[in-house]
Amino acid sequence: MWLTAAIVAAGALYALWTYRQVAALQGRDRVVLLATRVGLFAVVLFGLLRPMLLLKVAVPQQNFVGILLDDSRSMQVADHNDKPRGSFTTDEFGSANAPLLAALGKRFNLRIFRFSSNAERLQYANDLKFEGTATRLGDALDRARAELSGLPVAGMVVVTDGSDNADRTIDESIAGLKAAGMPVFPVGVGKERLTRDIQVTRVETPRLALRGAALVLDAVVTQVGYAGQKVNLVVEDNGRVVGTQQVVLPGDGESQTVKVRLKTSDVGPRTFQFSIAPQPGEEVAQNNKRDALIDVVNRREKVLYLEGEPRPEPKFVRQATDKDDNLQVVLLQRTAEATVSAPDKFLRLGVDDKDELLGGFPAKREDLYKYKSIILGTVEASAFTPEQQRMLEDFVDIRGGGLLALGGPRSFSEGGWAGTPLGDALPVVLDRGSRGPQYPPAELLVKPTRTGVSHPSTQITDQADAALDKWRDLPTVTSLNPLREAKPGANVLLTGVDERGREQSVMAAQRYGRGKTIVLTPQDTWLWRMHQKMDVKDPTFHNFWQRLVRWLVDGVPDRVSITPTPARVQKGEPVSLSAEVLDKEFKGVNDGRVTAQITSPSGKTEDVPMEWTVEHDGEYRARFTPAEDGLYKVSVGGLTGKGEDVGRGTASLRVAPSDNEYFDAAMRAPLLQRLADETEGRFYRAKDVSQLPEAITYSGKGITMVEERELWDMPVMLVMLLGFMGGEWLYRRRRGLA
Amino acid sequence: MQRGRMLVVAGTVILAALVAGTTTTLAQRPGSNRAPQQQSYSGNVRYDGKFVFVRMSYAWSGGRGAPWAHDWPVGEEHFLKILTSISNVDAHVDASSIMHFSDPELFKFPVAYLVEPGYWYMSQDDVTNLRAYLLKGGFLIVDDFPYRTGGRIDTWGNFEEQMSRVFPEGKWVELTDASHPIFHSFFEVNSLDIVPMAYNLGDKPRFMALFEDNDPKKRMLCIANYQNDLSEFWEFSEEGRYLVQDSNEAYKVGVNQFIYGITH
Repeated sequence: MWLTAAIVAAGALYALWTYRQVAALQGRDRVVLLATRVGLFAVVLFGLLRPMLLLKVAVPQQNFVGILLDDSRSMQVADHNDKPRGSFTTDEFGSANAPLLAALGKRFNLRIFRFSSNAERLQYANDLKFEGTATRLGDALDRARAELSGLPVAGMVVVTDGSDNADRTIDESIAGLKAAGMPVFPVGVGKERLTRDIQVTRVETPRLALRGAALVLDAVVTQVGYAGQKVNLVVEDNGRVVGTQQVVLPGDGESQTVKVRLKTSDVGPRTFQFSIAPQPGEEVAQNNKRDALIDVVNRREKVLYLEGEPRPEPKFVRQATDKDDNLQVVLLQRTAEATVSAPDKFLRLGVDDKDELLGGFPAKREDLYKYKSIILGTVEASAFTPEQQRMLEDFVDIRGGGLLALGGPRSFSEGGWAGTPLGDALPVVLDRGSRGPQYPPAELLVKPTRTGVSHPSTQITDQADAALDKWRDLPTVTSLNPLREAKPGANVLLTGVDERGREQSVMAAQRYGRGKTIVLTPQDTWLWRMHQKMDVKDPTFHNFWQRLVRWLVDGVPDRVSITPTPARVQKGEPVSLSAEVLDKEFKGVNDGRVTAQITSPSGKTEDVPMEWTVEHDGEYRARFTPAEDGLYKVSVGGLTGKGEDVGRGTASLRVAPSDNEYFDAAMRAPLLQRLADETEGRFYRAKDVSQLPEAITYSGKGITMVEERELWDMPVMLVMLLGFMGGEWLYRRRRGLA
Repeated sequence: MQRGRMLVVAGTVILAALVAGTTTTLAQRPGSNRAPQQQSYSGNVRYDGKFVFVRMSYAWSGGRGAPWAHDWPVGEEHFLKILTSISNVDAHVDASSIMHFSDPELFKFPVAYLVEPGYWYMSQDDVTNLRAYLLKGGFLIVDDFPYRTGGRIDTWGNFEEQMSRVFPEGKWVELTDASHPIFHSFFEVNSLDIVPMAYNLGDKPRFMALFEDNDPKKRMLCIANYQNDLSEFWEFSEEGRYLVQDSNEAYKVGVNQFIYGITH
């Protein structure tokens, strides 16, 4: 009590003395001297109060520390002081005498794990090979936590580059660690940003393609250190070059989507590799290539072409598509309109049997849905019953088919299609006030839009560079359907300029429900074949129509479709098979007996029953785990509850070591920082790792004892005291206030 | 079959109406009071997407009316009215075109009609153009084709010689029955015996065809109505010179050939 009173009194005297000394001063002098005096008083007061710091310290050799060492391929990337990342691990943990391992070993009982696609106990890091083909950080943390549960754990050290490529986040693992009170101390190895690297980040390919398909695929390329440099993106089909596209590399850290053209040839599951040759000085060469599996099928896709009058367009379209073995365009061409005593008269070409389309346009969904796509020529809306009009829309929306509507005197607004279900599905706005076709028609010089240049449906040449010249050279075509407004979700692919220089949409497309709709307004694209200026051997017209119809049927679902997830796995990894099973009207079958027959690369077959998911109509699921490297074939089929065969669908699955480790290979500090923050640990970079053992010692977890530390005798107190006194002395001397 | 019969009946009725009310717009063309001598006309129908009857012309130095113009213009006028009445071909009914084989406009009209091939001769440009026209997808109908022309000329020989310049590799195939789709593209013609012969054109009407790659399963490029004169029936169907039944059959064969040309 007396001490407190004495301190208060001394403080008051000191304040009074100080005030008197500075009271006469003005401005800055007064502020500075007051501040130094107050600071001095505060330091003295702090020391006199004798404060103590209480720390929880781990009891030596009473606690356990888990050490998780990343053993994946990405640890081979040589960006740790120009050495592989794994060298840090072996240097620091490679033997009992390794510095960090020894430092930790003095204080804790250690449990060492290696992890990549799985996690397991390890003696020393010398046993690491850094060949794991995946990094599943969450699984590794779960495994270590499970093994250490029940033990006093002071913390977990995770030595990794953070390139987690598991198909689940680490959120659940973090929650488990928090619940168990296990702080994580990640040690990030490698550069947070590579300085010279080119990466083929993603390739978007269809799962299935027809033989001979001219595909235009998107490949996403990212890079650092090579901005503006020209490189070639090469596509190989099982080692044979099938496409090359020059790429001007984007700015550092930016992505660029590259359109790559290639043509499928050999039938079967084909592995297409997209690659850019490693450039001088590249830090990671393994991420310059991406593989994609495409099932190239040799089957005829059936398309119904309904034409409302005898005109030449279908004749030339069929000449083009008949040269394509994978397309079957069935023509139903009305040659006479119904009279009081007779129905419409049709010419049928390309039918499979004498009964096909005998009654004209199908009246039942199950008959219409046998076709993959529909080409609607110039035929008026009133030629269809209201139900048939709804069927046309449902064909796109529910069946997922493609519908191409062609121009002509009975098409679009001129044919009364505005306000009909199909009119709503088309990608262009139809004018309700049309007075019918206006002659003479507009003569249009057609050219592709920016989107159309690289769209798979408008590829009239095999070489992109030659296409624009070819479009310019094509003769004009005519249109009676001036469509000027595309719907918001539509892509205008071709436009035409008439003799007065006015522009109108010639071809536009949009997704509609599960399918797609396209309009093509000229009434006579056949002039691109027949016109006097077109050489007999010119393939432009045939290319255009073959590719347009192929695109029309591309991706149109069958009654049974299968999706393996993920599409590429490693041996021993489980695969989820999802199958959609539909009836003849493309409604989901929920009471089916569905089985997946799985054939391994060596020819072993296994039947896996599939269960209806309940969540979605017609969706069935099963899981299996491949045991061999190579291509697995999955075939799904079965019966409905009424015993009707649902048909079969097939898919391929590639089982092979993954290259994922080399993609986005920079050290992922944000992920590791988050892991540390949320578990109350601390994130270290490799260069700072010497402080790690002490940090774990003071983590406050495990078996701890309280350590008291006097704060008044810390050297910093003396330094501050002298600093305030010396500062005032110097200030006074310089200002002449002494 | 029933439908086919009904259409024939309907056609007959329409034919009667046409015969009563025919107007010859084509005849109002300058110089049309005589058979035209020129090979192409500035008054041809401008292409607009509709079907146009295109009659092929060729050089003729004789003093009388040009043989390529036989039955013109009434033949095509009657035919077009029947064609558009009986089918829904969107055609120019009151106008037709006359073109020579080197005319670049020909390529906008996929069906061409040629008569009296016994007098036919082509320049090299004509040959080149006709070959391209047929290979790309054009279709040539040859009619008014007696076995002898002027009582002297071997008509088939001259025609074959001209066509051999177009297709040196070409082989003519005689359609000996009515099984080919060209006899069924609109009307069901099940027997060639029904095809009438207007006058003494030879022993019997014959149909000779030239196919793509000389393969009868492929597209027909040209039909030669040898020892036939269908347009004779078309031209005079308003005058009662021939039996209505025969005129009907001539129309049926003609409609089939034109619709085949448009659609195949």
